[in-house]
Amino acid sequence: MIQEPVLALERSRGLARVGFALRDGRAVLTDLAQAGSAKVLLPNVAGAPEAVFLNTSGGLTSGDRLGYSMRLGDGVTATATTQTAERAYLARDGAARIEVVAQVGAGGRLVWLPQETILFEDSRLDRQTEIALAPGASVVLAESVVLGRRAMGEAPRRARLFDRRHVTLAGRPLWIEAQRLDAGVLAMGDRPALLAGNVAFAVVAFCGAGAEAAVDALRALPVPPGVQAAVTGWNGRCIARALAPDGWPLKQWLGRIAARLTVAPLPRTWQMQGLTT
Amino acid sequence: MAMAARWDMTTPRTGFRMVRDAIAARLRLVQILSPAFPIGAFAHSQGLETAIADGRVADAGDLQDWIAAVLTHGSARTDAIFLSMARRPGADLAALADLFDAWLPSAERAIETAELGRAFQSLTRPKDPALPYPLAVGAATQDMDLPEEEVLALFLQAVAAQLVSVAVRFLPLGQTEGQRVLAALAPVIAETAQAAAAAGEADLWSFTPGADLAAMAHETLETRIFRT
Repeated sequence: MIQEPVLALERSRGLARVGFALRDGRAVLTDLAQAGSAKVLLPNVAGAPEAVFLNTSGGLTSGDRLGYSMRLGDGVTATATTQTAERAYLARDGAARIEVVAQVGAGGRLVWLPQETILFEDSRLDRQTEIALAPGASVVLAESVVLGRRAMGEAPRRARLFDRRHVTLAGRPLWIEAQRLDAGVLAMGDRPALLAGNVAFAVVAFCGAGAEAAVDALRALPVPPGVQAAVTGWNGRCIARALAPDGWPLKQWLGRIAARLTVAPLPRTWQMQGLTT
Repeated sequence: MAMAARWDMTTPRTGFRMVRDAIAARLRLVQILSPAFPIGAFAHSQGLETAIADGRVADAGDLQDWIAAVLTHGSARTDAIFLSMARRPGADLAALADLFDAWLPSAERAIETAELGRAFQSLTRPKDPALPYPLAVGAATQDMDLPEEEVLALFLQAVAAQLVSVAVRFLPLGQTEGQRVLAALAPVIAETAQAAAAAGEADLWSFTPGADLAAMAHETLETRIFRT
């Protein structure tokens, strides 16, 4: 029997890695690597270093794999973000995968502020975010997901997302969540316990010793109209969540929260200068 | 003949003992997962009070949808998986407690699971190291020779009943209607229990952003009757 040649579809692969360490009290670049569709840019910013990850493939589909890796040495504070929104496109032959891995040295702080993830119809995305904090280290993570592009009249009914976030402190689990969104959830999208009719959702997690003390400051921030938000904090964790009818008010809210937690301007790629106060 | 005579003597007795032990284990399970077991579950709404206060849960239909979502996609499901993992032979309860702690979605949920766990343990295994409620139930039922799904279903029904009782005290919703909601949830409870019995750490996920927000917002709710 003659076998048809298997035509493997072109899959994108990308891995970008960046590392910083303290030298004479200043954070300097110690590691930079990029392969495939993943790039990392290092804009010239005052203060703590910033890394901007970029997926040049333009979006993710079945079999695509994208990895971003960050390593901060002891005492280093750095911000990392993405150049644009990550788009998950139709994926009929299995999930696209994103892996984000970070190690933060003793007393260091990582601010991980990727731009929103947009899920298109029939997309399937598995994302794993692993952040390992050394003693005295902390992380501020702010992430949002938007279902389709509302301006284009899109309302995906079959998008799938598995989004797992795992933060450890000195090897012990500190904060974990895994969100799973599928057609079943989307079919119940109006239920108040689920999306309550919204199309965008976000989480901000500040993890590290004393993080719970940030709760009051975050609760005092104004919430944009239409956004439902709440803040909680206990035992090394300060978690803020929001649901919104659109991506933009959610981004405004995220910007405010992130700016308050980091006491620093947002990365320029957020294009929100002056809009968060 | 002698053999047969001996079987006739012992089989009914052995069978009798087995049935007796199974009934006793089942009675114990129903006892410790009954709303009458004094662990203070009635004081907790897990954020349902917020959803009722702002009008998002206003009638029996809303209530049933809310509880069903918590069962199929929310904290009740993950709690059942934790319970199940704690019952498995050789379960490392200290490691599970660390994992459970990291999975907590809010400060009040941390308080609720710790308080209920403490009260539950004081009535079941007072000498054990402190465990959050779902793990404490797992540890206390580890030796019970009952189908896993049954233990999990009774646990989930207790959670659902707890939420129904919150609504009955708050909404214009009678006891009869509340019981009707609980009865209607039976298939959802059974299905969630079956899935949780076969689940492990990789199956821990949830998606109830609305319920999570309600539980978090409860911390700042001005007038509140429930502790969570």
